[in-house]
Amino acid sequence: MKIRYVSLAWLAISLAAVADDARLNFVSCPIVQDTPTVPCWLADYHGERYYLGIQTDVSAEFQPPYLGHQVLVEGVVTNRPRICGGIVLEPVKISVLPELDRSCNTRLPIDPRYTIDFNPRPPGPSLGRLAFADAQPPGPQPVKPPFVTKEFTVFFDFDQGITFRHPRDLMNIVHYAQETRAKNLTVTGYRGAMKLSDGTVLSESEAIAEKRARQLAELLAGAGVTAAMKTSWQAEPVPADGIDDWQSRSAKVVVTP
Amino acid sequence: MRPGRFPGTGRPGHRTILIGLVAGSCFLASGGDRPAMAQTAYNNALEEAPGSWWGPGAGRRLAAESEWPNAFGTLGIVNAAGPIDTRGHPFFEPLGTNGRACVTCHQPADGMSLSVETIQRRWRETNGTDPRFAAVDGKNCPHLPQGEPASHSLLLNRGLIRVFVPWPPRAADGKPIEPEFDLEVVRDPTGCNTHPEHGLHSANPMVSVYRRPRPAINLRYVASNRFGVSPFIGKNGLLASVDPDTKKPVNMNLMADAREPTLKTQMQSAASGHLEMPGTLSPQQIAQILGFELQLYAAQVSSHGAGRLDEAGGPPTLGPRALERGRDGVLGNNTTAYVFPMGEVWKDLPEGTGDTEAARNAFRESVARGHDAFFFRTFWIQDSMHINSVGLGNPIKRTCATCHGMHMLGMDTANGWMDLGTTNLPWAMEPPQDPWSTSKPELPLFRITCKANLPPHPFLGREIYTQDPGRALISGKCDDVGAIVLQQMRALAARAPYFSNGSAPTLREVVDFYDRRYNIQYTEQEKQDLINFLSVL
Repeated sequence: MKIRYVSLAWLAISLAAVADDARLNFVSCPIVQDTPTVPCWLADYHGERYYLGIQTDVSAEFQPPYLGHQVLVEGVVTNRPRICGGIVLEPVKISVLPELDRSCNTRLPIDPRYTIDFNPRPPGPSLGRLAFADAQPPGPQPVKPPFVTKEFTVFFDFDQGITFRHPRDLMNIVHYAQETRAKNLTVTGYRGAMKLSDGTVLSESEAIAEKRARQLAELLAGAGVTAAMKTSWQAEPVPADGIDDWQSRSAKVVVTP
Repeated sequence: MRPGRFPGTGRPGHRTILIGLVAGSCFLASGGDRPAMAQTAYNNALEEAPGSWWGPGAGRRLAAESEWPNAFGTLGIVNAAGPIDTRGHPFFEPLGTNGRACVTCHQPADGMSLSVETIQRRWRETNGTDPRFAAVDGKNCPHLPQGEPASHSLLLNRGLIRVFVPWPPRAADGKPIEPEFDLEVVRDPTGCNTHPEHGLHSANPMVSVYRRPRPAINLRYVASNRFGVSPFIGKNGLLASVDPDTKKPVNMNLMADAREPTLKTQMQSAASGHLEMPGTLSPQQIAQILGFELQLYAAQVSSHGAGRLDEAGGPPTLGPRALERGRDGVLGNNTTAYVFPMGEVWKDLPEGTGDTEAARNAFRESVARGHDAFFFRTFWIQDSMHINSVGLGNPIKRTCATCHGMHMLGMDTANGWMDLGTTNLPWAMEPPQDPWSTSKPELPLFRITCKANLPPHPFLGREIYTQDPGRALISGKCDDVGAIVLQQMRALAARAPYFSNGSAPTLREVVDFYDRRYNIQYTEQEKQDLINFLSVL
């Protein structure tokens, strides 16, 4: 029995080690690879090419990066068959870095070795529905009493405030605050950091936490939330350990009825 | 078909413009022999009151259905609520001090916009005394000598009116917005932006830009709030404008810069600005104008090449009655609704008996191919703010319909501003500057410097040169520089020139612009098919 316990403990440690080893966090120029259907998005790191995702539409979890900018990649290496020549990272989170980098301009022509299905979304008009319509979270639902304090977390791109990604998050908060006739609402902004696989730690700009808190409060008030609002922010970056660091780029909104 | 430069406006055109004119004429002529027109069931408004120009207070009757000739055929207008006696109607009566009415710049024959051809003709007919040429916005700048063609050159040559907005911008509550960028005047050919009374550094700082009047047709679609409207702007997550009456968010698709939230605020603003009307429109006047605008539909109804566009069994998107029947607030970038549902009826047509029918069928097939080029032909869309920045990536491999996705109109569906490069350098049309060129820039040029403590424009960086900052003049946002609300694609045949700054004198130039901007590499056949398609909308 004793031997068995030791073996299980060793196995657990080994799995954790494998999982950590499989994580890959890096900054690189994105590459777009054309195909006969939709393009693939790739990125090179340490002499290897990685597959990030494909172009679909706004309903997709993966939303492609920009040529002209470096991209911050947080992914897990898989042993799935390569796609468009790249080792598949899954899950993968990307964030476009705000400053321009004109050297990021690689667009590769169609290579007969690489094909992508026509589904879920062709490069032109859709078939009448968004590619991932079924996976979309439901819109705001009716809130029934008893009304309770609820916390919402809003995530951001690196060094960015509110963008096109956020209307759904904002609407959920507005809806809950209005349905519960919230009396108080607190917004706390955080400054994220990211530990890359080479050990480098990237921190967001000093002012970003304050910007996120103030911007969220302003938008919620502008959308009709009448609760008394308090804003605060944490100017020191959240410690980065290389594991899901994207979650540190955030703000918390607490709605109290 | 594009009118030439107006005599006396100075700044003679460059050789390349003349070549463009010839090319444009060739393409229009290449539609083949003009088929005999089918008998129209429409009342002909021209018979009711001769002359295509509708002067303010003329007291004419606008029929329930009317047709107006243009270079490509005829435009059809449907008054869905029936004929209108325009006597006393606030859209048609001069309400301000300068003698203009709404109809002055929204002429039926021009798809309720104003073509440069009409403007030039009106100048000749009135020797420049028509109220259309009033100093407030019918001149390059109010301080210039009234009545001299050179003072009105942007209107006479490009169909542009002066739009002047306060700087820094103000929010809906009147509070100043702190811009994310510094604005400098690099070039001021009209003298207005540096003028001590009208300019950027005057006591009442204003920015003057020059834009085409938008067509007051099919507004049920343009102003629809049925799709993509929420308290937050879909393209950037910021607060959407609200209707001051209902406090509900609006689609922000009115005006080139979305500065007016509703048709009601737009008409009040136009009355006080363009018409120089003291006071405000009465509730009754507002209701009358609104009622008129929301029941008015216009589209090309016959084509020199394709014949009748509204005949039974024809493509279901064509003609103004199709717009009257259609649903607003529908996304058409899909194969269920389509942007412009053409059906299959103009594909694989028989050769026809006789030259006339053969030419008509050939033209119709060209239109059908043009539709497919618009809808299905992919190309790379790169560095266009508010399309490449909304989750699709940069670049994206898509089609024209990705941006022009509104069912029946081809606007964007909601919050429809984006930067296609029509006003921002390096894509905006600029005359060649070299020792051998006689051409001179006509439009102002601004330098935008995005503030160092904020993110740069994602595609243009921190220093941007633009002829018109567009939406950024209202929002103060760096990434809105040069973003213009997409224009509807109906009645194009009646209202050249195109783009907000009138930079495309012909449909050929519209197609060529996109071909250059996105390196589409259209074939000549594709270009002609697209032109033919655009000409029948």
